[in-house]
Amino acid sequence: MTVTTDTVRTDHGVPGARNRAKRSGARHRLVTHYLFMAPTIIVLALVVAAPLFYSFYLSFHEFIITYGQGDFIGFDNYVGALADDFGEVSWVTMKLTFFAVALEFLVAFGLALLLNRPTLRFREGYLVILMIPILMTPVAVALMFRLMFNPNLGIINWVLSLLYIPGQGWFGDPAMALPTVIFVDVWHETSLMLLMLYAGLKSLPSEPIEAARIDGASRLQIIWYVIVPLMRPIILVTLLIRMISALKSYDLIYMLTQGGPGKATETISFYAYRLGFRFLDIGQAAAVSFVLLGVVIILTLLLLRVMREN
Amino acid sequence: MIDEPKWLRVATHAILIFASAVILLPLLWVLRTSFADKVIAYKIPPDLFFTPTFDNYRDILLQFDFGSFFLNSLLIAVMTTLIALAIGALAAYVIDRHRTGGPVAPIAILATQMMPPIVLVIPFFLIFKKIGLTDTHAGLVISYLTFNLPYVIWLLMSFFKRVPRELDEAGLIDGCSPFTVFLRIVLPAALPGIGAAAVLSFVLCWNEFLFALMLTGQETKTLPVAISSLVTQQGTAIGAVSAATMLAITPMVIVYFAIRKLLVAGLSLGAVKG
Repeated sequence: MTVTTDTVRTDHGVPGARNRAKRSGARHRLVTHYLFMAPTIIVLALVVAAPLFYSFYLSFHEFIITYGQGDFIGFDNYVGALADDFGEVSWVTMKLTFFAVALEFLVAFGLALLLNRPTLRFREGYLVILMIPILMTPVAVALMFRLMFNPNLGIINWVLSLLYIPGQGWFGDPAMALPTVIFVDVWHETSLMLLMLYAGLKSLPSEPIEAARIDGASRLQIIWYVIVPLMRPIILVTLLIRMISALKSYDLIYMLTQGGPGKATETISFYAYRLGFRFLDIGQAAAVSFVLLGVVIILTLLLLRVMREN
Repeated sequence: MIDEPKWLRVATHAILIFASAVILLPLLWVLRTSFADKVIAYKIPPDLFFTPTFDNYRDILLQFDFGSFFLNSLLIAVMTTLIALAIGALAAYVIDRHRTGGPVAPIAILATQMMPPIVLVIPFFLIFKKIGLTDTHAGLVISYLTFNLPYVIWLLMSFFKRVPRELDEAGLIDGCSPFTVFLRIVLPAALPGIGAAAVLSFVLCWNEFLFALMLTGQETKTLPVAISSLVTQQGTAIGAVSAATMLAITPMVIVYFAIRKLLVAGLSLGAVKG
């Protein structure tokens, strides 16, 4: 108490001292805050920013693994890599992203609505089972389905034969490979979307839904005119997060098809990997990876804007 | 409560049971195959009942040395998680409380977390080769920090947000230093969140594939890489592959059942809210 009055009196005595004290205090605090940040800044500078700049630098140079770094060649790597198979792999990546994310969303939103019904019994049991895939490594998921989709030894063609449906080539059939990969992706990734959408539904205010019910709206009307608009920001965030991760698809492709047959399932990430570590052309691989990074950054900025607005 | 037609209740359960079956049946099938001997594993039409054998598990543990790959995965995931938590908690705290780093900080964190791994694997592969970090545990831990540190910060930011600021202020007025306030007051208050972040970060490392594939060798292989090489080595050694797959999944499923509530809260928070 006495201390406080003392300080106030001194401040009155010397005009400006209070401001100065405040400013130096603020500066001191700022330094403390950045000390908290320092380890993170140092680590991210060393392990993210530095490799990123190095790779960006390489993307403008000739670099074959066996020969090492060569001359500065401007945009040749970009032009070369983009002219080559880039169109094809971008198209595959876009199809994979679109169909996988769309299917995952429809299934996840439907299941989330069912799970959110107030009178539902065994809710916990369903949730436990439906969340299992979230924690599985894509490698395990891929292997599981490789065994089951094996045309000769797999269980799926056998089950189909019981239903008088002819067996398919699945991953080996150029027309079937991408849809089969999408199926595996949907099996694996729907859980995460379901979790996010279900958490979103649970956080919705109940008043507007009650009001609509009292006004005599049907179940479908409530979903379409009340729940969907309320869920809009969460739906957008969920879609963007999944789109970003689908665009990066690599693990499943590596394990299921290695991009084949031909290039039927080759994604941009796998293409960059193939250029760099099969054809040993690091320069071109780096160039492709930066094009992908550009797309991902644009979507991430979009995601941040949606998050901010709410 | 709310009256609803019977068909709706039946249809709801029918759909949910079908979805659960789609998830469970493949897992059960792999579990079944992991206990089958070679003849039964390849048999079509398959036998549903047979005498289970542990040969596949014995093979992958003794012949293919999966025990040490398991330990590699464990060691790398634990190390990465501890470092990321120690560093990330400090940063997440000041970003949440004082907006340190301004508007750039959250953007940089999120963008780093979203970065395609292929972008960083290329330079890491070259740099590690040059400085001898290829096929070392330390090397993989370093590369895992690239995605794990931002992920942990992002999660912890939202957990710290739930700790009332009045607690900090009370501590500061009592004369604690900012670090003491963080260590003694905020951290204990956010402990469940930190637990969730630790588990999620562990899972992320445990399941990672591309960095491990490119940066490890025989000595430091993690489980996903070991399983993937089992496939190419053995063609289709169905039983062994199934057993290895179960070995990779089981610890995660145990973690999941042990702390499901915490995990679900963390996952939805980290993913949905900012």
